[in-house]
Amino acid sequence: MGNIKRRKFLKKTAAASAFSATSGLYPGIALSNWKASDSLTEEIQWNKTPCRFCGVGCGLLVATSNGRAVAVKGDPESSVNKGLCCVKGYHTVQALYGKDRLTKAQVRKNGQMVEVPIEEALDLVARKMQETIKEHGKNAVAMYGSGQWTIPDGYVASKFMKGAIGTNNLEANARLCMASAVTGFLTSFGSDEPMGCYEDINHADAFVLWGNNMAEMHPVLYSRILDQRLKKKHIKIIDLTTRTTRTSYADDKSILFKPQTDLAIANAICYEIIKNGWTNDQFIKDHCSFKTGKTNIGYGLEEKFKFSDQATSSSYAEFKKLLNDYTPEKVEKLSGVSAEDIRYLASIYGDPKTKVMSLWCMGFNQHTRGTWINNLVYNIHLLTGKISTPGNSPFSLTGQPSACGTVREVGTLTDRLPHGVVMNEKDRQFAAKIWGVPVENIPDKPSNHTVEMFRSLDRGEIRFMWIQVTNPMVTMPKLNRYRKACEKEGRFIVVSDIYPTPTTAVADVILPSAMWIEREGMFGNSERRTQHFNQLVPPPGDAISDAWQIIEVARRMGFEKLFPWKEENHIEEIWKEYRKHHAGAKHEMAPYEELKKRPGIQWPYVNGKETKWRFNTKYDPATKGYDPKGKESFDFYGKKDHRAWIWFRPYEPPPEIPDKEYPFWLNTGRVIEHWHSGSMTRRIPILHKAVPNSYVELHPADAKEQGIYNGDPVKLTSRRGTLTLPASIDQRGRPVRGQVFVPFFDENYLINELTLDAYCPISKQPDYKKCAVKIEKG
Amino acid sequence: MKKEISESRIVFIGICVVMMATSIFIFTKSLSQERSSISNELFAKKVSGTEAVFPDIAQEKEVFALAGKAKLLGKQSTYSSSERTLSNFYKRRAYPGAPPKIPHEVQPDMVGGNNCLTCHDNGGYVAKFSAYTPVTPHPGMENCRQCHVPETTDALFQETDWNTFDPPEIGHSALHGSPPPIPHSLQLRGNCLACHGGAAAVREIRSSHPERINCRQCHVYMK
Repeated sequence: MGNIKRRKFLKKTAAASAFSATSGLYPGIALSNWKASDSLTEEIQWNKTPCRFCGVGCGLLVATSNGRAVAVKGDPESSVNKGLCCVKGYHTVQALYGKDRLTKAQVRKNGQMVEVPIEEALDLVARKMQETIKEHGKNAVAMYGSGQWTIPDGYVASKFMKGAIGTNNLEANARLCMASAVTGFLTSFGSDEPMGCYEDINHADAFVLWGNNMAEMHPVLYSRILDQRLKKKHIKIIDLTTRTTRTSYADDKSILFKPQTDLAIANAICYEIIKNGWTNDQFIKDHCSFKTGKTNIGYGLEEKFKFSDQATSSSYAEFKKLLNDYTPEKVEKLSGVSAEDIRYLASIYGDPKTKVMSLWCMGFNQHTRGTWINNLVYNIHLLTGKISTPGNSPFSLTGQPSACGTVREVGTLTDRLPHGVVMNEKDRQFAAKIWGVPVENIPDKPSNHTVEMFRSLDRGEIRFMWIQVTNPMVTMPKLNRYRKACEKEGRFIVVSDIYPTPTTAVADVILPSAMWIEREGMFGNSERRTQHFNQLVPPPGDAISDAWQIIEVARRMGFEKLFPWKEENHIEEIWKEYRKHHAGAKHEMAPYEELKKRPGIQWPYVNGKETKWRFNTKYDPATKGYDPKGKESFDFYGKKDHRAWIWFRPYEPPPEIPDKEYPFWLNTGRVIEHWHSGSMTRRIPILHKAVPNSYVELHPADAKEQGIYNGDPVKLTSRRGTLTLPASIDQRGRPVRGQVFVPFFDENYLINELTLDAYCPISKQPDYKKCAVKIEKG
Repeated sequence: MKKEISESRIVFIGICVVMMATSIFIFTKSLSQERSSISNELFAKKVSGTEAVFPDIAQEKEVFALAGKAKLLGKQSTYSSSERTLSNFYKRRAYPGAPPKIPHEVQPDMVGGNNCLTCHDNGGYVAKFSAYTPVTPHPGMENCRQCHVPETTDALFQETDWNTFDPPEIGHSALHGSPPPIPHSLQLRGNCLACHGGAAAVREIRSSHPERINCRQCHVYMK
């Protein structure tokens, strides 16, 4: 006995001594004197996770010690960022530790929020949902989630709302950021998400950024582009923009255009390509169809606005004829871009030796013709056959870490299912079978997209809304109306979040959430890459994950059979069930065990291999004639005719154009330091200290005319609201004359009280980039 | 009493054994690491057809990036009043290894553009700050403010409970007087002389022999 004890003691001492001998030498193994811990035996563990912030999906290594995250480095094993991060990524872990973290559930009692045990709050949510359904019907309850939901969160939400309760009132904030990209892909290719991948950056000769301030919004990918240019001198980066930004300064050429005229510019590029015979006619003949759609399609400003597009078969000849309205000279007048610059752009796309990557994000997607402009950039790539091959890549960038993974792949939108759409009976049957619910449970019509959902809440058709991982009381356009809607009598709002926000301020129940590495989960990034992360630290207080909150409520409502999983392995079980929806070469997801091991895996993941370029017979096992060793060909299998569709889409003006009374364009957006509504990044000291508040950027000449100096208060007024904020003249960016720009991250300056809730009638995504305001010295 | 002594002797032997094992482990590990990084590079060439992969993390050539200036760095005289200190060095970082904030005013993008490298690529004495300019270990990264941001206020939006670990102690040698290993990750910091050579280097971590340019001949990094 004594011996054993003694041996144990020796082992311990030797370990501790070895520890102190090595401490200080080797980070990643052990260091002395933790601040977080007084125990010498604590070690640092480095674990992989995708970054919490944007859709690039950088791989991080997070150091934990004693149950806390203490440091970050870029994961060199991740093919996304290869060890580099941005300032948000390097400081992500600090977002866990704001002092005002929500750790207890709260419910509104006599108008006051009071802390309650989380079980009581979950009971109340379940009871309230049941009561609302009983009194007002299934479509009186709604859930509004997020592209920052993990994939299991979204999957549970979809099963709960569509499969269990039986309502299509499920939306996510990706409607506000990615919906036009989705409808762009579906209308042109019949299959969502990019055909290419980030590796295209290593092969392309020219990069055309369409309304995309990549240096601030997708900085790591932008650094990859800059790195390529440094190594290969011939590389050109061209910035097409309505506002001079950091990106404009770094690029080889910056071309300024008037808001909304990107539609005309894209058509003029097509016109020039055809006129000069730069088209790839064999590719067009073999792989493309021509279509026209409806025109004068409206802006969704009317209550209960409805629109559905109609594809009419067309021809190459007709397409050419329709483009005659878009000569460079005509478009110069409309867009302010010289005919010479339009020809220059066309020559880059048209040169068969130049591999071109087009990149875009919110400039295209937050657009009342968002679907159209997505279609138009595909047209350029299809006419020249520059698609689905390494370096030739129209690439739609994503804003949120799992807008692709959770919203687009799981289908947490009113019209979508994990596989297919609610309108299709086969798709409904397929989902119902996997879920184990009667197919009649899933309604066959979409109900409310995001803007309409909040309008319904205002009108009283929706009575109960559960909001998770998003902050609509900062981010909804025409915010005043929708805040009042939430505050109306007879509306019950549940908010799951990690910090107090303007959205928790209108809540009747607040549920404290476990965020990111406080639970297990997966994100899916812009290049079809699924990225798993383990729980690395415990959540604070009563906080639990969004998925588990839904499961708890679902069980309380009697759906425990649909959500039978145990807490310790529910993510694995959910993933296994979810994967069934995507079985097959077109969308196969990687198995759980593989995801756990690697920084990320691209789908379709077929026979242990990622698919880097879809629709290309050399790379994509789902193509007809797939042959990795054969000649390159294409099969656009998303469409029934196995062709990519070239849509003629005209220029149409935006709904609100500056006039005498409101003479300025208002454009909104982000800065590199802040993520969305700022509820996380503002609690990260270095980020807040760098950009502590919002501001309004003016062109120096406009400012001078109004006698406004840098820092002066400026009053902005639109038809919907008024806001006074400090002027920023020639600081981070410079809008064109007649335009002002405001970042939306600051809850103290709610710029969305001024924006317009007009949206693309096809994608239903609002346009945050264009409305009319007047400016006065405040 | 006697028993205690014998126990501490055994502990001492334990330490020795562990340390020997560790050094063998270090040696073989570093060899195998170098091998794998070389073969990875070749592989990258084959696969992508481009010359280098992004970014150049801890590639061996980085060690020699400032070799041409090594002699000059060794001769730079220092003024104690303007020397950078280790405590300031860490104060500018959220945790050891974090990108430091920009401690001086910078011109707005629309005025000055991105001209950090004018000073931070080459270094040299700057009268305005009465100091030598720190040299970036990764001048190939052009979008500096992707990671480095200035402060415009001292105030916080909300208080934070953030806590990190102490920086590694310096001067640890495996044997008395032997060259200390590298206590930090080499990611984006593979160019040793940028931080350890010349008058701009932090006093406590300034190399006494920058002219010996093959740093990793004697100093090894432990993963």
